[in-house]
Amino acid sequence: MAIMSKLNETDIQGFVLRGYNLTYARYFYLHFEDAARARKLIARLLPEITTGQRWDGGKPRSTVNIAFTHRGLAAFELPIATLISFPVEFQQGMKKRAAILGDTGLNAPEHWDELWREGRVHAWLGIQGLTSSALDTASTEMLALIEETRGAVVLDSQDAASQVIAGKATTKEHFGYTDGFGNPDYLGVERSTQPGQGKLMPDGSWAPLATGELLLGYADEAGELPVAPIPHILASNGTFMAYRKLHQNLASFRAYLEEHGRQYGGGKEKLAAKFIGRWRDGTPLELSPDAENQAIVQDPQRSTNFTYGADGDGTRCPVGAHIRRVHPRDAFGFNGKLIDRRRVTRRGLPYGKFADENEPVSDSDDRGIIFMALNANLSRQFEFVQQQWIEYGNDARLGNDKDMLLGNHGGHGKFVVQGDGSQTNPPYVCTALPNFVELRGGDYFFIPSITALGMLAMGLVDPR
Amino acid sequence: MPNNNGCVYGLTILSPILNDEKATPSHDLQIRNYLATLPTGETSPFAHAPGTHLCRLVVMDDVIYVGMPACEEHLKSKYLIFESNLDAAGGAGLESYLRGLAQAIPQHLDAVWSHCVGYPGAANAEAFVRYMKACQIETTFFFAAVNDKTVTETLRALQTQKAVADFIARHQGMEHAKLKAEFLEFATRLNAEPLPRPGTMGSRTGESDAWGRGRGIKTGGHNE
Repeated sequence: MAIMSKLNETDIQGFVLRGYNLTYARYFYLHFEDAARARKLIARLLPEITTGQRWDGGKPRSTVNIAFTHRGLAAFELPIATLISFPVEFQQGMKKRAAILGDTGLNAPEHWDELWREGRVHAWLGIQGLTSSALDTASTEMLALIEETRGAVVLDSQDAASQVIAGKATTKEHFGYTDGFGNPDYLGVERSTQPGQGKLMPDGSWAPLATGELLLGYADEAGELPVAPIPHILASNGTFMAYRKLHQNLASFRAYLEEHGRQYGGGKEKLAAKFIGRWRDGTPLELSPDAENQAIVQDPQRSTNFTYGADGDGTRCPVGAHIRRVHPRDAFGFNGKLIDRRRVTRRGLPYGKFADENEPVSDSDDRGIIFMALNANLSRQFEFVQQQWIEYGNDARLGNDKDMLLGNHGGHGKFVVQGDGSQTNPPYVCTALPNFVELRGGDYFFIPSITALGMLAMGLVDPR
Repeated sequence: MPNNNGCVYGLTILSPILNDEKATPSHDLQIRNYLATLPTGETSPFAHAPGTHLCRLVVMDDVIYVGMPACEEHLKSKYLIFESNLDAAGGAGLESYLRGLAQAIPQHLDAVWSHCVGYPGAANAEAFVRYMKACQIETTFFFAAVNDKTVTETLRALQTQKAVADFIARHQGMEHAKLKAEFLEFATRLNAEPLPRPGTMGSRTGESDAWGRGRGIKTGGHNE
């Protein structure tokens, strides 16, 4: 495929193109009561929205982005011909997709936070700040705009933040793993790239994915334009987001790891690494099966640069390890071709108080991660990965086994740690798996381009 | 032998459906109505038909020509499509599979195929085999869902896999001599286990659809 020219970064919301790497976030959930006032609010917000433009003048102290549910777009009184042209899964919203996503049992909508059970969320207003005071300042400004225009009712908000250790923001999540490796590269998106983040080429090198895997209006990996609403200009440079509030049962995780870490010959830390495919400091098991190695983690040429072809048995990185499930690289053969249309870009931050290893914790403590997956096609990308690779195991030849940490196990299921028979790398089977992570709600959102936001603000969406 | 993939045979049968204007409802609708009542999984009639890996029945009304230049054309009749992945090596194996069908579930075959042109009934097994073979078309290509293993081998393998996984989970870390004794006892017990019934080895966590039928995985419609 020909190298495409640079994207129009001034037209794309910055949240889509970049992980801002700002420590603090606050997400407001808005409900629109009146289309005219909502339009006025968007018009006022528009100059505040952070675009994908490079920060040549230095990193901003805060960012603002916005996304809409299908009900939210309907609240703008868009033409019905436009509303029904959105993909079905987006029109339905995440709650109605529960059976498809495996969001049943403990993860079923009846257990969600009231906010997400009610289905009144029309928009997500995401604010991030370099410091908590920068976050507060930007939040206050946005709330003032909302109040002044009476454009929306704020239903609720959610704070999230990176863990700060010795004054430095980390990418640790509550279970102690270093997170946030390996978002995909896309054609035309300027970003410091590293091997292992795009798609695998026949010569073993890595290349950016087609732009249409992330953005509407561009060719995807099949050379087709992603399914998109009409008019084209409403869709172009936009994307879809699956927003999931994932509660983490830290006490259950620690107890399980403690108990099985004692029985497993490789020890507790290695077992923790086997769950996910990386040591908790981020070292990929595939590159360093026996010990953490910060030299690898810190080296962009190595930290995501590996394949599973030489580890078919999973004796280094288990076949069912989290990162091998959700990004199988070459594990399914055909040089990785089977996975190029199943990639998602992840954004997200932990919420709730971080607890030291020795600090007593309870599953009922309010902590978890706000997981946001961006993709051009929710059904083909996010939903497929969730259904087939997290809640099922057949593609990895693991039968009905689910993802160890994210799976909706309900006390059943198993996770197999393949081993080579040596003392420190023996095989081990984890059974009676609790839900280490529980879904507390979320929805599907459309993140429009700057142009499309302008059309919403002016009431100029015309499908003809 | 394009109909074969190792010991698995990909059978495709197209039976023309009776076109009788006086029939109420029409024969194709009568087939659809009957198919809608059939259960899937372990209570499916085809779970009782020996040697069936998976199969499906479809009513095809017509085929629309899509292409340039446009033209209008139609099938000469409506067809019942029967596709089955079964255990058989070659034509002789197919005949014995069809005889097995006629023996195991004649009432279902008759209820469906009696709406098709020239169907002789399952009571006369030889006529039934001749009829089905006359309706057969070459499959040429089919989804190899099983890896050259018979239904019996597949069921035994799934049973063994599950039992061994459970055994490991219950016994890992056990002292060697005791483990060996327990394993020998386990192996003897497993060997004596009857073969699981077809359709019983799938996921038990599946939801039921509107007809109460289990479905392991819900599909979203256009995930492909």
